[in-house]
Amino acid sequence: MAAHPKTFRHSLSRFTLYLMLIVSSVMMIVPFYWSVGTSLKLERFVFSNPPQWIPNPLVWVNYIQVLTRIPFPRYFANSVFVAVVVTLGHVFFDTLAAYAFAKLRFPGRDQIFFVMLLALMVPFQVNLIPLYKIMTILHWNNTYLALIIPNLTSIFGIFLMRQFLMTIPNELLDAARIDGCSEFGVFRKVVMPLALPGVATLVIFTFMGTWNDFLWPRIVINSEKLFTLPVGLALLQMKNTSNQAQIMAGTVLTALPMIIVFLFMQRQFIEGMTAGALKE
Amino acid sequence: MTAISLPHRFKRSVQKYTIPYLFIAVPVLSLIIFLFIPMIISFWWSLNEYTGLTAAKFVGLDNYIKLLTDDKIFAKGLVNTTLFVLLGMSIGPTLGLLTALMLNQNIRLRSVFRTAYYLPVMTSLVVVSTIWVMLYNQNGLFNTILQNLGLHKIGWLSDPHVAMISIAIASIWQGFGFETVVFLAALQSIPRELYEAAMMDGAGGWAKFRYITLPFLRPVILFVYIIGIIGSYQVFDQVFVMTSGGPVNSTTTIVYYLFNRFMNHRLGYASAVAYTLFAILVVFSYLQMRISREKA
Repeated sequence: MAAHPKTFRHSLSRFTLYLMLIVSSVMMIVPFYWSVGTSLKLERFVFSNPPQWIPNPLVWVNYIQVLTRIPFPRYFANSVFVAVVVTLGHVFFDTLAAYAFAKLRFPGRDQIFFVMLLALMVPFQVNLIPLYKIMTILHWNNTYLALIIPNLTSIFGIFLMRQFLMTIPNELLDAARIDGCSEFGVFRKVVMPLALPGVATLVIFTFMGTWNDFLWPRIVINSEKLFTLPVGLALLQMKNTSNQAQIMAGTVLTALPMIIVFLFMQRQFIEGMTAGALKE
Repeated sequence: MTAISLPHRFKRSVQKYTIPYLFIAVPVLSLIIFLFIPMIISFWWSLNEYTGLTAAKFVGLDNYIKLLTDDKIFAKGLVNTTLFVLLGMSIGPTLGLLTALMLNQNIRLRSVFRTAYYLPVMTSLVVVSTIWVMLYNQNGLFNTILQNLGLHKIGWLSDPHVAMISIAIASIWQGFGFETVVFLAALQSIPRELYEAAMMDGAGGWAKFRYITLPFLRPVILFVYIIGIIGSYQVFDQVFVMTSGGPVNSTTTIVYYLFNRFMNHRLGYASAVAYTLFAILVVFSYLQMRISREKA
C-alpha cells in the first residue's frame, strides 16, 4: 500500500505531461486548421459568431477564384522553377567547392574559407540596395536571372557540405585517383554518391529558403507574371478588394508544397536544422 | 638549368592547382560580385546624398548623424525592433527548452508532437503572417472568443500599444519549434550514465537539471540566442504583411524603415540604415564570441 501514493503521483505527472503536450500542439495546429477551414467557407461565414469550426456549406469557390482570377498557377510555376534551378545550382556548386575546401590542397585555401565564414555574418540588407542597382545595370530586373543568379551558391551550403565531406576517408579518394580518375571524376563518381545524405539536407534547406524568400523577390520583381508565391500572396493580402476566404485559399496553396515535402523528409529536415548547432 | 625548370615548375604548379581553383571559382566570384562589391558601394552611398536618379553628392557622415540624432522614426524603429527582440528572446528559447524537455521524456507519439511544433518553422513568414492577420482581425477568431467570454475586443494590429506585441506573439509561435528541435537533439546527446550516476548519488530532478542538463546545453543555448538575436533584429516580412509599419509607426522596424527609405529613393540614407544595423549585429556577434571564449 505504501507504493500507492507514489504511483499515483507518477501517473498524475504523466497525465500533466500529456495534457501540456496536447494543449500546446493544438495551439500550434489551430491557426493552420483555421486557415484551411476559412478557405473552404463562403465569404459571409468567415467572421461569423459563433465561429464556424466546420465549414458549412463546404465550398471550393475560393480556390477556383484564386486559380482563375488571380494568376496563382503562374506564381506557383515561377516558385517551382526558381526553387528547382537554385537548388540544383547549390547542389553542384556548393558541393564542388566544399570538396575542394575539405579534401584538396591549394595555396590560400584556409584563408579563403575564413573570409567566407566572416562574410556569413553580413546581413543581406547591407548589400541589398547596390545589388538591386547591379541588377538594373545588367537589365536583370524583372527577369528570372535576378532571382536565380545571385542565389546560385551559398556560404552556408558550402560550410554544411564541407562538414559532411570531411568524414569521407581519404583512402577512398586516393584509390579512385590511382584508378586514373580525374579530380572531377573523383567528385562525380566517389564524392557525390557518398555525399547524398548531406545533399538531401542541402536540398531541403535551399528549397525551403528559396520557396519562402520574400524581401529580394519583392524588390527585384515588379511584373505580376514573374511573382513568386510569397510575393503574390502578400500583395493579394494587401489589396482591399480581396476577401479573407480567397486569401486563405492562396495561403494554403502557398504553404502546402513545403508542408508535403516536410512530412516526407522530416528526418533530413531535423538533421539539417541541428547540424549547425551541434557540430561546432 | 633553372631557366628551363622554373617556367616548367610554374606551369606544373598552375596545372596542379587549376582544378581546385576552378572548383571554388563560382562561389568565390559570386561572393565578390554579389556581396563584397555591393558592400563597398553601399558604404560609399551611405556617405552620400543619393537618390539613384540624380548624381550622388558626398556628405560625409551627415546621414549617420541625422539618423542617430535627428530621426524620430528611426529612433522609434530602434525601440520597436529592440522590444521585438526582447520579447522574442525571453519567451521563444524558454518555450523551446520546455517543449524539448517534455519531448525528451519517455512518451508516445514523440514525432507527432515534434512535427506540430516544427510545422510553422518551415512555413513561409508571409504565409504565417497572412494567417495571423486573419486571426487578429477586429472580428477574427481571437476577438470572437474574447467577446464570447464576456471580455473586450483587442485591437491586435490597430492599437499602437499592442501591435508590436501581436507581431512578436505570431513570430514566437512561428519560430520556437526551431529551438525545440535544436534543444531536443542536444538533450539526446547527453550521456545517460551521467544521470544514472547522479541518481546513485541521490540527486533529485532539479539537481540533475541544474548540474548536468544546463551545463551540457550551455553552448547550444548560446548558439540559439545569437542566431535568434541576429535574426530578430532583421525582422521584416511579418511587419510588411501584417501592419506595413503602422499604426503611427508603432511597428516600424529597422529593416522595414530601410525598405521604406529605399522605396522613397533615399538610397544613401537607406545604406546608412543598413550599416547601422550591421554595426549592431557585429556588436552582438563580438559579445557572443567573448562569452563563448570565456566559457571554453
